[in-house]
Amino acid sequence: MRAIAVDAMGGDLAPDEVVKGVAAVSLQTNIQCVLVGDERRIQEALERTEYNPEHIDIHAASEVIGMAEEPKEAVRHKRDASILVAAQLVADGRADALVSAGNTGAAVLACARHFKVIPGIRKTALASVYPRQTEYPGQDHLALLLDVGATIRCDALELVQFAIMGSAYAKRVSKVASPRVALLNMGTEPSKGSPELIEAHRTLASMPGLNFIGNIEGNDLVRGKADVIVCEGLVGNVALKLLEGLAEVMVDMAGAAAEESWRWRLGMRMLAGGVERLRELADYTTYGGAPILGFENIFIKAHGRSPARAIANAVKVAAKAVRDGVAEEIATGLAGGR
Amino acid sequence: MARVSRKRALAVSTPRCSVYRWDLDKTYLKSEFDSMRQLVKIPFEKPEDKVAAPGVVALIRSLRAVGLAAGLDVRVYFLSASPPQIGKAIKDKLALDGIVYDGIVFKNQLHHLVRGKFRNLREHIGFKLAELLKGRHEQPPHAREFLFGDDWESDPLIYSLYADVVAGRVSEDELRAVLAQIPVDPQQIEDVIAIQRDIVRVDAVVRIYINLERRTPPANFRAYGPRLVPTFNYFQTAVCLFEDGELTVATVAKVAESLIEGSGYTPERLANSLADVSRRGHITAATTAALWQYLAAQRLLPPARAQRRRRRPWWKTLTAAVAEWMRSPNGKPNVAPPLPLDYRQLASELRGAKRHEVST
Repeated sequence: MRAIAVDAMGGDLAPDEVVKGVAAVSLQTNIQCVLVGDERRIQEALERTEYNPEHIDIHAASEVIGMAEEPKEAVRHKRDASILVAAQLVADGRADALVSAGNTGAAVLACARHFKVIPGIRKTALASVYPRQTEYPGQDHLALLLDVGATIRCDALELVQFAIMGSAYAKRVSKVASPRVALLNMGTEPSKGSPELIEAHRTLASMPGLNFIGNIEGNDLVRGKADVIVCEGLVGNVALKLLEGLAEVMVDMAGAAAEESWRWRLGMRMLAGGVERLRELADYTTYGGAPILGFENIFIKAHGRSPARAIANAVKVAAKAVRDGVAEEIATGLAGGR
Repeated sequence: MARVSRKRALAVSTPRCSVYRWDLDKTYLKSEFDSMRQLVKIPFEKPEDKVAAPGVVALIRSLRAVGLAAGLDVRVYFLSASPPQIGKAIKDKLALDGIVYDGIVFKNQLHHLVRGKFRNLREHIGFKLAELLKGRHEQPPHAREFLFGDDWESDPLIYSLYADVVAGRVSEDELRAVLAQIPVDPQQIEDVIAIQRDIVRVDAVVRIYINLERRTPPANFRAYGPRLVPTFNYFQTAVCLFEDGELTVATVAKVAESLIEGSGYTPERLANSLADVSRRGHITAATTAALWQYLAAQRLLPPARAQRRRRRPWWKTLTAAVAEWMRSPNGKPNVAPPLPLDYRQLASELRGAKRHEVST
């Protein structure tokens, strides 16, 4: 593996937290990273932290695309933006994968401009891992949901391709031998939902290489029924935000209840260990970020507010995806599905 | 004019003398004494069990070879806070590595033990400073010194203090106050004061190299000024010594080669190291380019990396330059702290760091 290109200027806490995350990776692993952005600011941030310079290179980029900027305009006008330069490095073969916590739209456009789409793929998908209930010992406590916003509306073929890409990612990165793939729908029967969902169900059910288990409903999202859940971007994004919002509300409600009565406070104290475990499970910084699937190169999109830990994990996930040949697995899956 | 002539006459009549003083544990040797078990093992280690830090052997050999080839008087010394009881194993290890040296000093821990001075067993500043000053007496006044230590204990403070005492920048009262603040044993303070009185005051210490064995952030050493160079590996040290004129490009290549062949380094890792030391301002862009060209031709570095820089509009360049100028005091980036350094502040930081280590 050559290196992971990291957009050092992308994200609310960039460049300091991005640099710290890469510095941590340089001390823990042999992964080579190229930090792309303002050379002086990156170097200053590096020198304030513990790092191993043998694993870090810096590539200069003079412009930054802010989190609130309009992606299309920004990509058009800021040609030396860190995200664009980083994507270019991957396209040129200087790096194998890209990690960014910056503006999602700009990052996707940068990839679309510089990366090649895997032959046969119609649309790329933004995937997200989230914690769910497990059904059997050893089951991964994370499920993969895609698409969560890259493609608002999809046709049946695109949904089928998302299923193939998600299955390949779960096989290679989560090491699930035969990931259970499901369609997110308004009923479990094959005839339920829009014509696109019905068509997608029919196609997926006829694919022998895919462990398709049928439709699941919203209440099964957080159970361990499926490892890969497929939906169009609009639905996926709403579902993901709903899960995040619910988790936050639960924590807030528990806190408020504990303030009302000493019995609740005592109960919360007794449950503290379990609550902490739950918090760890739901902590996005441990997952590293969401992959954009469908390009020949790997791109991991980290959360905009990513602290160093999340960036470090995103870099490790990117390296793992490259090492384990996710793009190749998708191409193979696609060839098998034709 | 006459003064210049006298200087020239001195340079012709006496060969230039370069003194290289090395700390042993964590600088020359990859000593592992992070746990009690490892500490107990050290006295029983055989010479062949001891491991030199990657690249250090090639570096010391190169320094001597380059100096001798130029007709210089080259002297290599080792200074260790380890007891003399393990001296034989260390001397045998140096012989095994083919290191020629002119002196080696160990700390007589038994002496402190017998006198009940238990604090002196762990406190090395007084001992090391005294030994360095004693060693200075043995050198010709014009001898230039290069000091090599690590980031584990107090080498940056000891070496900097030594450099400024020898240069006459630290008064006797100031030295006494700083050592008392650390705190060094009162008897040792008086020994140090007595030894430094007879020293010929010359600005002898050219550079202090600190091996970042613990990966301490380099910014932590800014207070020591540009005389002190923190390096992450001995390739970076070799590169800086090339900048100082102590090594040739061919000997830098030898150090790089030893790291690749003996320690599993790759050209990519070396390239990143070179770029890092260049960005930190310890070598010039011209030196970086020259080294890269030579080492890439030897296949020790990958071909020079192209930085794809787009041409910025003139107004952006101008605003960036003005912003940079406004950020840095006096319009100068990386302003060096004035000499002598603020040793009372450095000593108090050292005390704070030691207390923090004990508590964690």
